[in-house]
Amino acid sequence: MAERGTSRRPEHLSAVPDPDPDPGDLLRAVAGGDEKAFARLYDLVAPRVYGLIRRVLRDPAQSEEVAQEVLVEVWRSAARFDPARGSATSWICTIAHRRAVDRVRSEQAASERLTYVGRAQVDVPYDAVADEVSGRLERQQVRRCLHDLTDLQREAVTLAYYQGHTYPQVAELLGAPLPTVKTRMRDGLIRLRDCLGAGAVA
Amino acid sequence: MNTADVHTLLGPYVLDAVDDIERAAFDRHLRECDACRADVSELREASARLADGAWSVPPPGLRDNVLAAIGSVRQIAPISPAPAPAPATAPARSSRRLRLVSAAAAVVVAAAGAATAAYTLQDHRVRVEQARAEAAQAAESRVRALLASPDLVVKEEPVTGGGRVTVATSKLHDAGVIMLAADAAPSDGRVFQLWTIRSAVPIPEGTLAPGQTAAVQIVEGMGQASDVGVSVEPPGGSKTPTTPLAADVKL
Repeated sequence: MAERGTSRRPEHLSAVPDPDPDPGDLLRAVAGGDEKAFARLYDLVAPRVYGLIRRVLRDPAQSEEVAQEVLVEVWRSAARFDPARGSATSWICTIAHRRAVDRVRSEQAASERLTYVGRAQVDVPYDAVADEVSGRLERQQVRRCLHDLTDLQREAVTLAYYQGHTYPQVAELLGAPLPTVKTRMRDGLIRLRDCLGAGAVA
Repeated sequence: MNTADVHTLLGPYVLDAVDDIERAAFDRHLRECDACRADVSELREASARLADGAWSVPPPGLRDNVLAAIGSVRQIAPISPAPAPAPATAPARSSRRLRLVSAAAAVVVAAAGAATAAYTLQDHRVRVEQARAEAAQAAESRVRALLASPDLVVKEEPVTGGGRVTVATSKLHDAGVIMLAADAAPSDGRVFQLWTIRSAVPIPEGTLAPGQTAAVQIVEGMGQASDVGVSVEPPGGSKTPTTPLAADVKL
């Protein structure tokens, strides 16, 4: 009878959410039009998506708008996700980052060169935003690994990733030659990958 | 850009620190280089972890808005064997978009170049040209935002006498961009004029200068338009289009 009891579990028990669903599994379900899976995926990735966009764009209203576009895009193009080419989280973050960067560049095109030179100096208070939720293991690990890079690697990577600068803009901000900046970006990412052990994650 | 040059863009490419042209060059390179695709995937895993460092609680309304929005968004069907190189857009579309952005950028660059030359002129002319350059910059960022919209629809028709007109529209923005690139200006000093047809009524959307063969024009409220037309008119344009049209794009 034990077997039968398991197979005929009451509905409300099976509805209790899996404490740690895999974003990749959820994304595959989303590709099949599963709105419940999408809602759970939202809960898993929205703070990263929003946080990243906000970090790049700074303006909360614009960030919310772009985050909505990105999350709707995840729903729309979930079928394009290919687990052989990376994790679901990375796929989603790639879309989010690209959108945020596109938006910040189109804003930059309309503003003075000086504005983005100024950005480097106003960066500091934004750590306060990132600190809203503290003590998360992944964040500590990322910080530790970023700290592990050389100064030039770290600056090249973070000016590009968190502020949406192109590598020529980064070169200008850092007063470094273009080939150096390109190499530092690549080496910084390789070192980051090795430190995070991200290469091993499917 | 040769292969060795392109390959140095690996780091900037993964960080989205390249411009549209470099990105397209690198995407092409990726299609031919299995090892590079593996590198990109691995480094993307690492760069995506940087998003952990930006973790921030989203505004409370976002969840409801997103969940409400997906109700009306049709999902794309899985593409059979080969996945697109860029996760967000299909290759055909991104190269098309690149071409559009480049065309728009070329026109804007030309406008900015004209503005630079004008600085040697008298003061008030400088101010006029400066205002024009600013307007051109604002237009360019609007064009970019439009071309980046997820629901972009692109239509293209040849222009009589050579060249083509491309119309990109977005329902989300309720706007569109008309891009005209004719091979030659109309004869006898006549000019090209752009139109939208809304409820069978032609609305003038801009007239090119004599000798001008290319233009990028933003049109707001594109939602009601059924057609975009290009006509050949006397200098300064006309109130209604002269037929036959040099091009007619059905939307």
